[in-house]
Order: sequence, then structure tokens, then C-alpha cells
Amino acid sequence: MSGERHSRKIFNAFFYSFAGFLFLYSAYLFLSNLDQLFVTEAAVKTREITNWGEDREILNQFAGGFWKDPYFWKSLNLTLVITLITTLIATLLGIPTAYALSRYRIPGKSMVEIFFSSLMVMPGSVIGICLIVMFNYGPLWDLQNLLGFKFAHSIFPGMVIASLVLSFAFGMSAWKATFDSVNPRFEQVARSLGSNRWRAFKTITFPLAKSGIVTGIILAWTRAMAEFSAVLFFCGTFRELPASRFSDFTKFLQMDQADWVSVAVWAQVEFGNIEYGFALAFVLVFIGGISVYVMHRIGAKGYVW
Amino acid sequence: MIEIKNLIGNLGEFHLHDINLKVNKGEYLAILGPTGAGKTVLVEYIAGIYKSNSGSILVDGEDITHLYPEERNIGYVPQDYALFPNLTVKRNIAYGLEARRMPSEQVNSIVSDMISRLKIEYIQHRMPLNLSGGEKQRVALGRALTTEPKLLLLDEPLSALDENLRTEMARELRRIQRDVNGTFIHVCHNFEEAADVADRIAIMDDGKIIQTGTLKEIMEAPKNEFLARFLKSQNMFDAVSDGSTIQIGQTALVKENPFKGDVVVAIRPENIAIVENEKDKGQNVFSGEVESAKLKLYFTEILVHTDISLVVICQTGREYNKGDSIKVRIPPEKIVIIEKS
Repeated sequence: MSGERHSRKIFNAFFYSFAGFLFLYSAYLFLSNLDQLFVTEAAVKTREITNWGEDREILNQFAGGFWKDPYFWKSLNLTLVITLITTLIATLLGIPTAYALSRYRIPGKSMVEIFFSSLMVMPGSVIGICLIVMFNYGPLWDLQNLLGFKFAHSIFPGMVIASLVLSFAFGMSAWKATFDSVNPRFEQVARSLGSNRWRAFKTITFPLAKSGIVTGIILAWTRAMAEFSAVLFFCGTFRELPASRFSDFTKFLQMDQADWVSVAVWAQVEFGNIEYGFALAFVLVFIGGISVYVMHRIGAKGYVW
Repeated sequence: MIEIKNLIGNLGEFHLHDINLKVNKGEYLAILGPTGAGKTVLVEYIAGIYKSNSGSILVDGEDITHLYPEERNIGYVPQDYALFPNLTVKRNIAYGLEARRMPSEQVNSIVSDMISRLKIEYIQHRMPLNLSGGEKQRVALGRALTTEPKLLLLDEPLSALDENLRTEMARELRRIQRDVNGTFIHVCHNFEEAADVADRIAIMDDGKIIQTGTLKEIMEAPKNEFLARFLKSQNMFDAVSDGSTIQIGQTALVKENPFKGDVVVAIRPENIAIVENEKDKGQNVFSGEVESAKLKLYFTEILVHTDISLVVICQTGREYNKGDSIKVRIPPEKIVIIEKS
């Protein structure tokens, strides 16, 4: 017991010092470069280097802080809305799948597990190209023709699909590990006492797995937020598309002419606006850091009653 | 009454072969067998955790083979007790009644009654994680018994306890079973434990039930060589029988028996008598010398060499040393003869 506590202490010390270092170092870089974000010089310079659109003036409009740029807020909004949808789908599909994989003897179970585990070690670009091939040929292409809209290069469902793949794989591995850690005997005994399958899950397995389930949801969400290559490959950027290409609904949600945040980081750097890119990166570090902190706190509790 | 008829179970790597078993109402049956014999699997089939491939399980004449575990009203206490770690002891015990949507006043009175019957009032508000082995076992029993199951399955309930507590809890189990007049099936791999608790014993090996009967019946007439070995008949020899005598090497034993040809002879060490009277020249008396004598807790175990090596138990407290001459008598009625498999 004391050995366990001791190793927990070492782990905590390591975790907090590492996370703290990353966070403080990013904050330092961000703060020490703040002056560059306030001046328009960088934006003006980029006009000379690249020529990537007609309404170049927009860059000047936010001079004085990236948070004054509607593009930033729309991008953040877009990413949050889509990742929430992705997380919801991943949770609704992933928890039952993880439960089934953990509890039942299913033919081909190990193949399914290997498939999802292998997704986790794939680069996002590979997943992106696989999605492009999958959706632009064969039966899925025919289906899209039938439905009358294209999945690739769309905000919905394109971005949801692209961010779902890894989000689902990561979430499911966390949920499966959680269900594996709850002794199946609990449910067997609960059922021998007269509980049906659902009540046994609700009263015993779920309370015991709750922290793991919440951790999995946060992991699925942060993984969706962190998706970059798959979204870029499958959906591209939307910043430069004319307003007419966006639906009223997208405009209403303030998600038009915006990019997935991590894609926006890349786009800004690619267009020579490194400071803006870095500021967006900092926002991602901030969100990710908080999520991991919450996840760690919940995980450390063992059971959440 | 519980009746299992021709039950066949196939779990891929493990099979149950044609299980037939009857447990009368109010009877305490022990299922005994070595590790890997399929005892736990059989219990899980009875509890409904697995569906059987064929055969049937009848409870009071009603076929429950295809019912879900929650519809069977069979109590199940697994080896690790599986107390719900998120509920207090009291809520654990109340679980089965709450699952039946019983009004809370009724639940409370039944649970309080059970708690006092098991003498666990002092832990009723604690979480299971902080209980000792014996306490956990009582809680698990209480939880299973509140719903008044038609049959209670106990999977190695005493194996997690230490030696001293084990005997005490075995007595306690027996008392509780009498108290509630329940039908119990108790799985164990320890012969002593089965002898302590059970009215009747079923012996299992390799997914089959080999013999069922009272302890005395099984000890007197084990059905096969495995069983004789399992019951610790330490003196086992290959022999040839002609119907009235048995020849083990140079030694001839007098014993009427129905076999002719190759047989296996099993003699329990406690059944071999040490002959004090030098003049005794009865049937099956052999002279030999002491090869070794080991002092155990309640007796001395002596290895005697006549023409064959015999393990003999001496409870008189007399000391024997290597090389001492000794006379032993093997009573014909205590010799067990098993047809060679």
C-alpha cells in the first residue's frame, strides 16, 4: 500500500513538473512575443511574400490581437461544435462497442481490436488518404450521389468523419480498458440476485467504470481537437472559399469561412504569419492542458461515485 | 430438488461431459475435484452464466435450462465473493431484494434480520474493500440468502481464508445451511473441507462426475484408480487377482473379490494395523522392518518394508526407529480392489 502511494507520488511529481514545464514554456513564448501580435508589421510583410487571396485586408483588421479577428473565433467555434458532435458519436458508438468487446465472446474480436489499435499508430495523413479513397470511389461514392451531397471537403459530415476515426479509436481503447478492469463477476452475481442485464450494468458496472468512462470521453474529445492531417486531407481549408459556398445554418452557427483550429495553425504558418499560428497553437495547448489536467484528476480518484 | 440431466457444455477449450447430478431439498452437496476438473464451470452452468449445449437442469421439476440467471432464483457466491465495491455491506445484502422492487420497510426488516443472524452488525455501514476474509464471506452469504434462493452455489468459499478460520467457517456454513434449511452446492478441492461440510460428495475430474455418494461410501469403494489416489490411499499396487487371493509381487493377500486378472489394490494407511502381539499369525499378517518414521501433528507415519513398501499410521504415540522390526496386519475387508483401467 505504502509502496503504491510512493510510486503515485513520484508519478504525480513527474506529471506535474513535465506538464507545468510545457505549459509555462509555451506561456513564456507566447507572452514574450505578444508585442508582435499587436503590430501589423508582420501581416503587411506577408503580403509581399505570398499572394494567397484577394481580401488581404482582413489580416490588417485584427492588428492589435488575434482575438479581435472574426476568423479566429469562427475557427474555434467550428472546431468546438464539430468536436462535440464527434465526441457524442464516438461515445454513443464506442461505449457499447467497448463493453461488448470486453464482455462477450464475439467471433473475430481480436481482429476488431487489432484494427482499432492499429489506427492509433497510423499517421493522420494515412487516415486522411484512406478516407479520400473510401468516400470518392465505390459504393460510398454512389451513396453520396444518391443523397445529393459530398462528404469530402464538407464541414458536415466531412470534418466529423475525419476527426471521428482517431477519436473513436482512442476513446474505445480507454473504455475497453475500464470495462476490463471491472470484474465481470459483479454483474454475474447481480444477475443471480435478480437484476436484469441493464440494471446490473446501471447499478454496479457503471458506477465502478464512471471515472474511466469520463476519462475516455475527455480523451475522445481532445483527440478530436488534436486531429490535423486527417481533417486537412479529407476536408481542406475553408478560409478562402466565397461566402456563397456556406449554408445559412453554418453562417448562423458562425462557422463559415473558418478552419479547424489545428489546420488554421498550419495555414497561418504556411502563409508566413508565424505569430498568428503560434497564438492559435497556444490556444490549443491551453485547451489540451486543461483537459489533460481534468482527466488526470478524475483518473486519480479511482472511482467517481 | 435440483436435478441435472445429461448436461453437456462446450466452452471451446473446456468441455463438460454428460453431467448427471441430483441434490435433494435441504441437502448439502460438495463437489470435489482437482484444479481444472471443471467444478467452477459446472457451477457457472447451473447459475446460468453459460448456456448449455444440451441436457437440462430442473429445479423442483421445473426446467430452468433456458432461463436467464435473473430468472432462476439460484444464489451464487463466487470464489472472490464479488461484493459490490460501490455499495456498503448493508446495501450489498439488500441488493437482491431491491432488484425485486420490494418495499423499503420490508427490505430493511429482512436485511436487519439477516445481518443479526450472521452477526455482522458491526460492519453493516462499512465498504467491502475494508473487510477481512471471514467478514467478506459472511456478507456474500447474507447477500445470496436474503432472496431465499432454491439453491445456493458456493464456489470454493473457504479457499481465501487461513487454515484456522477455515474449519470455523466450515462449521458456520453448516450451521447456516441447517438454520435456513437451504439446498447448498459447495465446490472445493480439499477433501477435509468437503468432509467437514457435506452430506454427500460428488467427485469430478476432467469435466465428468466420477462418483457420487457419502464420504463413507466413496472411501470404501472408490470407483477408479484416479479416485483412490485423489482420496489419498497411499498404498496402491498393481496386482493380479484370482478371485480369492491377490498377488502383489511376492506378497499374497487374502481377499474375496469378483475380479480375475490385472487389478489395482488400494489400502488406506489408517486401515493397516500394527500387530503388538508377536504370536499373532492371522490372515494377511506380514513382518517387516521400519524404513522411516515421521512425526506428524496427530500421528506418526511409518514406512514399513515387508516385500512391498507400506505406509502405516500409528496413533499410539509409541516411538519407532529405522531398522526396528515390525508386524502389520491388513484386514481383508479394508482392502479396496479396482479393475485396472
